[in-house]
Amino acid sequence: MDKANAAKIIESFVRQRFQVDQDDPDFDHDLHLFDYGYVDSFGAVELTQFVEVTFAVKIGDADFFLYPLNTINEIAHFVVQRQQGVI
Amino acid sequence: MTAESLRVPVTDVDEGQIAQLEYSLAFIGDDVSDYQIDPEDGILRVELAPGADRDDIRQKIARLIERYAAREFGFKEELYFEQEAPVVNENVWQQLLERKWVTEVGQGHVVLRGGAARLLHMIDNVAVNRFAVAFGAETEVYPATIQCTTLDQCNHFTSFPEHLDFVAPLQSDIDVLKAFADDVRNGEWSSNLHEERMATTEFAISPSCCYHCYEGMAGWDLRPPGRCVTAILGCHRYEGMNHRTLSRLRAFTMREVIWVGHPKFVIGARAKADGMIVELARRWGLHCSYEVANDMFFTKDYAVKASFQRQQEAKKELRLIIPQEDTAVSVISSNFHAGSFGSAFDITVGGRPAVSACIGFGLERFAYAILSQFGLDPDGWPEGLRRDYQAFRSQ
Repeated sequence: MDKANAAKIIESFVRQRFQVDQDDPDFDHDLHLFDYGYVDSFGAVELTQFVEVTFAVKIGDADFFLYPLNTINEIAHFVVQRQQGVI
Repeated sequence: MTAESLRVPVTDVDEGQIAQLEYSLAFIGDDVSDYQIDPEDGILRVELAPGADRDDIRQKIARLIERYAAREFGFKEELYFEQEAPVVNENVWQQLLERKWVTEVGQGHVVLRGGAARLLHMIDNVAVNRFAVAFGAETEVYPATIQCTTLDQCNHFTSFPEHLDFVAPLQSDIDVLKAFADDVRNGEWSSNLHEERMATTEFAISPSCCYHCYEGMAGWDLRPPGRCVTAILGCHRYEGMNHRTLSRLRAFTMREVIWVGHPKFVIGARAKADGMIVELARRWGLHCSYEVANDMFFTKDYAVKASFQRQQEAKKELRLIIPQEDTAVSVISSNFHAGSFGSAFDITVGGRPAVSACIGFGLERFAYAILSQFGLDPDGWPEGLRRDYQAFRSQ
């Protein structure tokens, strides 16, 4: 899985689950999902579970503090790195 | 029976979390009459009331220590600004009492007069004219009490259950009202006269100003980019044995500037306000720091919540040294809530979910910190502060 494909899959989930309009001008892969109010703390749990199941990676509590996981690109980067055993 | 004491070693708690642990220990139970963590040996010494259940208290202490125990992810520290200033070495609290600029009228309740009251109003004046006006804030006026359902929507009960001062009327029953009044007439008021006579609790005294802003906008779709609001409110937070001087009152006054709207609007306004807070600290020559902070969440998942809040830099505080108390208090806090309140109250902006932020001024403690640092005589204050005070007095 490369980063671009991971990002597309995450984007699709976020758009569907958090009801992001297709023509939302703010939304892109570098947008801070929490600051911009797309995902709240409950949504973060759902997003974490989706990433763990879809990409077969484990995200521990510490990962949220050790790595930036606020944007689609940051999450996709984390996924690829974890799959490759880099982190 | 005689008083007893407990000694508990405090291990594996980060130095930065010791103060929060000490704060929370005030809520161990009514059988704890005093406590202190010795910074030298790290031993917590607890004084117990006669007949206290030692094992129960020891277990509660262990649970609290676990709450603040060091975590793998740690707590982010970020210092945005720091400034030192020469401060007076005087017992300012005693001076305030002797001059009758402060009278204590109950636990964490005070009456302010004279220079203390004037300084508080000057700080509020600056908060309005330099901050609220700069953002074109609309003034709103809020009630002193708040619906419990609103506090529930704000997750206040699960985050800060220890703060709450609930209010309720006597039962709307002529016999209950007569019996209560008769009992008081025949003796004097005591709290046990309320037993079995109170109506259902539906309100609490407002613990914060901005909750009213969000509940008042429930269901609104704002015109982009959003709204800026300012309000002042007497707030209540019960803090057990932590109440002291003016630095931690149970009844205090809060001025807030609140933004609700599009993320770019809210985040940009908060960033601008952050710069203005530092500018104010410079101008007034305060002995202070502006740094990342966290709320004292009173929950077992404190560490995760607090650490996440710090990681996101969702809370920043201007902290002023109180020389006589060997501590620092937060006098302005800058808070970003992301979509929490917009989501809780269904507030949107141009059809998209709204986010919110606020800055809050704790007016009594701000005034007290200034007096503690520079004394009661304005002639001895730093120039920028003195000028602003004189300008305010000449209005």
